[in-house]
Amino acid sequence: MMALRKYTWIGLTAARSNLAYLSEVAARTVFLAVILYIFLRLWQVTYGDTGATQLGGLTLPQMLWYLVMTETLTLSAPRVAPEIDQDVRTGALAVQLIRPLSYPLARLWSTLGERLVRFGLNLVVGAAIALLLVGPIAFSAGGLLLFLLALPCAFTLDFLGQFLIGMGAFWLEDTSGLLLIYSRITMILGGMLIPLELFPQAVQPWLRALPFSSIIYGPARMFVHPDAAFLRDLIVRQGLAIVVLSGAVALVYRAGIRRIHANGG
Amino acid sequence: MLKQLTNYLGLVAAYTRLNLNAQLEYRGAFISQVVAMFLNDGVWLVFWTLFFTRFPVLRGWTINDVITLWAMTASGFGLAHAIYGNVLPLAGLVAQGQLDVWMLYPRALLPHILLGRMSASAWGDALFGYAVYLVFVRPDLQHFGLFVVLTLSAALLFVGFGVLTGSLSFFLGNASSLADQWRFAMVTFSTYPAVLFDGAIKLLLYTLVPAGFVSYLPVQALRELSPWYALLALAGALGVTAMGVLVFYLGLRRYESGNLMEMRG
Repeated sequence: MMALRKYTWIGLTAARSNLAYLSEVAARTVFLAVILYIFLRLWQVTYGDTGATQLGGLTLPQMLWYLVMTETLTLSAPRVAPEIDQDVRTGALAVQLIRPLSYPLARLWSTLGERLVRFGLNLVVGAAIALLLVGPIAFSAGGLLLFLLALPCAFTLDFLGQFLIGMGAFWLEDTSGLLLIYSRITMILGGMLIPLELFPQAVQPWLRALPFSSIIYGPARMFVHPDAAFLRDLIVRQGLAIVVLSGAVALVYRAGIRRIHANGG
Repeated sequence: MLKQLTNYLGLVAAYTRLNLNAQLEYRGAFISQVVAMFLNDGVWLVFWTLFFTRFPVLRGWTINDVITLWAMTASGFGLAHAIYGNVLPLAGLVAQGQLDVWMLYPRALLPHILLGRMSASAWGDALFGYAVYLVFVRPDLQHFGLFVVLTLSAALLFVGFGVLTGSLSFFLGNASSLADQWRFAMVTFSTYPAVLFDGAIKLLLYTLVPAGFVSYLPVQALRELSPWYALLALAGALGVTAMGVLVFYLGLRRYESGNLMEMRG
């Protein structure tokens, strides 16, 4: 109980300190506005050319709101891997080890706190742009609740992926390339640019089984199309992926800290 | 005139060689950045392949046209920043008064300062652009010759645009964030088919965000093997560069030194 309170405070502190950087919101507004406008045009032309009212089970406004959510989820990701990379390279990790905290858990809670604030701000900006471009879609309180249930595991999964990359600094000269590849794989296989329903039928089951879709596609789909059965499946997949990746983190972390050599004070 | 040009090309070659050698001091990091950028661009190609598998024609554009567009943008952007890498942090250099050291050389300031740095990942872009054009589009000699000329035109455009946006710091104080966002809009619009846009946005693509000189005219020139479209693309690149140079030297009159001690190796 004591430990939980400790890590919750770490999360709250990270969230509070992130609220201080509201100027970043202006930069994100431009970014989101450009991206969403381009996607709107791409899908407007596609719906128009095909004469379809629904693609992948989504209408044009739903498609844009889906993309608002995928962009919001992607842009809200804190820069965990580069920070861990720096902790490893500068030796700051050695200082963390003498604190009465688990380094991975402290990082997880601080990331969750930071991400919550960024997610909220991005969503406000993205929703405002979507309202302007295509107007609202049907939301219900129950549907939004189901969507919110899908978020914590998605954030945790993404953290675990990024933590593993940051730990790569123990063995690699530079982890930025690895992070770029991870983020791009999440983008494409996670359904950030195109819902999984529009992928070829044969690959869809594979993509649903991979953790990337549980980070982006799953929550975004719940946002525009809430469904209790889909949520149940999603949470099972997220849970399995968290167990596997947590095991990998434990192994890599243990191997990594054995390589720390600290001198001086 | 010819002698001056030859002399300057010699300087470009010398700086490129030195910058590349400096990058190769950290060979692993350099290679990983190049490979990561190559894969990053590849992910976008996967997205477009998936898109065109589902919707084969987009306002008359096929997958080959979009591959050409990506090849053009990536190689133009890559060449620009692999050679003239200092164009990326130009706004910051101006704002922090870091031009002093470059003013001491008996060289024209702007074309010299731009050579001072190399972006490692830009090599990944450049390699990607040429590789995908050769492998997927399989051009004949005439098309390939025109493609090479047009990539040089696109590179000139990116450099000119970077100088234009970076020079805003002379007038607005630290314009790094504004320059970054403007560049982001330019790059993003350059990677989507210009046929998606009509009206005021189309006008924007040939003025404020001159992506049309990368994403439309060169692609049309290659589709129709048209010297007319190629000349228009080149004229646009020269116009934007002339504007950038003009704004830079007008701004230079307002430059204030940062009185920084600097050493260049």
